[in-house]
Amino acid sequence: MAEGDRSPGSLLGIGVIGGLIGIYLANYLNMVTGTAWFSFIAALGAILAVFWGADAVRRVASYGLGTGVPSIGLLSIGAGQIAVLLGLAIGKFAGLELADPIIALILAAIVGIVNGVMARRVIKMNIAIMERSMTEIAMAASIILLGFSTAIAGSFAFDQIMAYVVASGFIIMVFIVGGMAMLHPFNACLGPDERQKRTLNLALSTGFLAMLVSGIAAGAINGVPAAVPTLIVAIVGWIIYYMRFWADTKQDAAAMLSTGLIPKEEEVMT
Amino acid sequence: MDPQMMVELGALTLVGGAALIAGVAEDLESDVGSQSNPNSQVQLAPQMGYLHRLYNKAISGEPASYPFYAAIGASTALAVLSVTNNYSLIGVFFALVAGAFITSLIHGVYATTSYMGRIASQSRFGQPVYLDVLRTHTPVLMAHGFVANFSVLLLTWVLIEQNLSPFPFVVLAFIWGIALGGVGSAVGDVHLGTDRYYQDRPYGSGVNAAHSGSVVRKAESGLRNSIDCAWFCSKFGGPLTGLGFGLVVYLHFWKEVVVKGWWSPVAGVIMVIIFIVMNVYLESYSRKRYGTYKEESE
Repeated sequence: MAEGDRSPGSLLGIGVIGGLIGIYLANYLNMVTGTAWFSFIAALGAILAVFWGADAVRRVASYGLGTGVPSIGLLSIGAGQIAVLLGLAIGKFAGLELADPIIALILAAIVGIVNGVMARRVIKMNIAIMERSMTEIAMAASIILLGFSTAIAGSFAFDQIMAYVVASGFIIMVFIVGGMAMLHPFNACLGPDERQKRTLNLALSTGFLAMLVSGIAAGAINGVPAAVPTLIVAIVGWIIYYMRFWADTKQDAAAMLSTGLIPKEEEVMT
Repeated sequence: MDPQMMVELGALTLVGGAALIAGVAEDLESDVGSQSNPNSQVQLAPQMGYLHRLYNKAISGEPASYPFYAAIGASTALAVLSVTNNYSLIGVFFALVAGAFITSLIHGVYATTSYMGRIASQSRFGQPVYLDVLRTHTPVLMAHGFVANFSVLLLTWVLIEQNLSPFPFVVLAFIWGIALGGVGSAVGDVHLGTDRYYQDRPYGSGVNAAHSGSVVRKAESGLRNSIDCAWFCSKFGGPLTGLGFGLVVYLHFWKEVVVKGWWSPVAGVIMVIIFIVMNVYLESYSRKRYGTYKEESE
């Protein structure tokens, strides 16, 4: 089920490594230059995690979850949220603030495994890849949340995230926008003729939209100049991947008509 | 009556009115997109051989998509306010409009992706993507979404201004988004699903498995599209959703403003009990009056 050109392993690599590099790079470039201009790199890292998370959602949801797609996405992003806040707090109080994203990632994996085990062994949902998928989605969610939060606050330090992202209420926007970016691609492409390439192009497009919104929020925190690079990259990226999604749809759809009546049965090609 | 309470009662009226409009617009928006529970039948239709010209907007369910719009709108409004630093009435108004506008653009993009994505994933059943459906329905969705979202932002802002809520603006908008989506999903969709998609089946029969996906695809004239559904639902389902959400918001803050302090939860419990009694009475009355559904003899 849910075969594709890209293997789950390679996507995991892209998500974890790309996501962490993005978050660290943004944090350090911002710190070295004393600006918030490089925040957009953290958002790019988060988009790679969206790319990975959307495929993990796709793999588990193609077992016929149907209406469960948003549920599994939001459950896991909740797991990621807990992991991120706890990870940041542990990092601060243990004096390991450098390792915050990695601690959050590990905690997300733990919460994800617990969710997966509960779903499969206690609620008895008979999905073989449940534990693995739930773990992957929760880990991706933690990178997404931390990436977009860093893009807003300009740093992943506990105090800054708390002051600029949590207290201002933007955290809930990051939660739902990041969650939607991850769960919407498969939800929108649900059906027997779903194709990995199309779904993942859509994932990148929704990821760039989430980046756009976090860029707007960054404008409220760090001023307009800090938001401009994020907004420009987000708009350009979104246009590219939306056009690709459009081209994929044109290729995959039975027909793309400017208008017309409902085709008669004999006209339908099988 | 003390002046503070006068102001609060005024705010209460404004909030109730905004909630009413939000509810109506929300339900009609979801009807144009055939979102939430009736969506499963539209999704199923091509598979059962019923090709259609309806919109298929699956941006999650309404209780998840409305907080999504509200959070984007509130964040944008907050960003505009912090950049312009103009907290006058007109400044706030335009910030809220900007928030609702940006949201409606993002809403439109998400709507097109779900229509194209879902139809393209059903290619084996021969369901075409109709670009004119995309072109005509998406602006309608965006417009209704704009009205609903602006009303949610407005009522949230009034509550924050009046110190009627402990939450930050974005979080409160998110919570009202969930409430709005939940009410819209529970109240209005029944009208769309049973009275519109299955108008050729007797009311109360439920959808037999044999009729799954057999939605009505022909209109009063020509083929049905989802804007026809909004026209139909604007007569009953939409206003009822508005009434539902308006009552939720109005009664909630009525007990906060008029029945103050510790008595307000008590008033809340009494209201819930009154509603339960009314609902039980209504159900037992209609069951007695109309009886159970009788299978048609064929």
